[in-house]
Amino acid sequence: MKKNENGGWSPYLAGALAGLVGVFSVWFAGQYFGASTSFVRTAGMIEQLFGPERVAGMEYFIKVAPTIDWQWMFVMGIFFGSFISAVTSGSFKFQAVPDMWARRFGARSVGRRALVAFVGGAVAMFGARLADG
Amino acid sequence: MNMLIYGLITGLLFGFLLQKGRVLLYDKQLGALRLKDMTIVKFMLSSVIVGMVGVYLLNDLGLAKLSIKATILGPVIIGGLVFGIGWGLLGYCPGTSAGALGEGRWDAIWGILGMIFGAGIFAEAYPMLKSTVYTWGDYGKITLPQVLGVNHWFVIPVFVAAAVVLFLWFEKKAL
Repeated sequence: MKKNENGGWSPYLAGALAGLVGVFSVWFAGQYFGASTSFVRTAGMIEQLFGPERVAGMEYFIKVAPTIDWQWMFVMGIFFGSFISAVTSGSFKFQAVPDMWARRFGARSVGRRALVAFVGGAVAMFGARLADG
Repeated sequence: MNMLIYGLITGLLFGFLLQKGRVLLYDKQLGALRLKDMTIVKFMLSSVIVGMVGVYLLNDLGLAKLSIKATILGPVIIGGLVFGIGWGLLGYCPGTSAGALGEGRWDAIWGILGMIFGAGIFAEAYPMLKSTVYTWGDYGKITLPQVLGVNHWFVIPVFVAAAVVLFLWFEKKAL
């Protein structure tokens, strides 16, 4: 196996294999890859804890029911799959601030990173849902 | 129940490959957005090419159905632009944030919480958006071969060739 300077596989090979996993998923389970719908389901499940009647009456949560489905487990799987790959290859690393961010804003800017990541996440998800991505 | 297990196993394989391709890193995602490191573009486009050929083969053999999303210009263009701003700030997309957390980059937690929050806000705004943005430029469920009026096997090789040319250029420029 040809290794990159960072110990990873060629992105062409890993990407092509990931595409193959996608094809088999469509074949065997009839499921196309996606992730952002699971965040809607999670938001709905959390909101249900506080106001189940309100959630039950909301148009978007009727369209995207707050339940655990194929895709929700798929996103969980991404977490564990990445964990297994990282641990077994020695590339697992607890990091509060990415390298590129640390070079620009300093390694101790954890609070600023948290704020920007939270806002970025909220904006990205709104856009992804709007475009149905 | 079976579907949930299928989902978990598929995600395990996908997450494993994302990590092996080193595409979960903030530096790689920002590197692509800053046009300095095309690693994730190589990964995504390779995946798309294999997926395109494979899924259309399955479709032609009657083994699977295409999942075509509606082309509505308003939400797609505005949503794409908004997503890009958020992606640039966060440095992870919805799927890779779970993977980034898996390899220990726990700043992804803030992004995941933000994305759940953003999903909640979207659910609130949906009725209003449905009667406005979602009515702008609705072309329905169309595909490129359909619009061009040709068989998909004429379109697919063009995409494969374009991807190969792009890959060669990336390697030449050491991107």
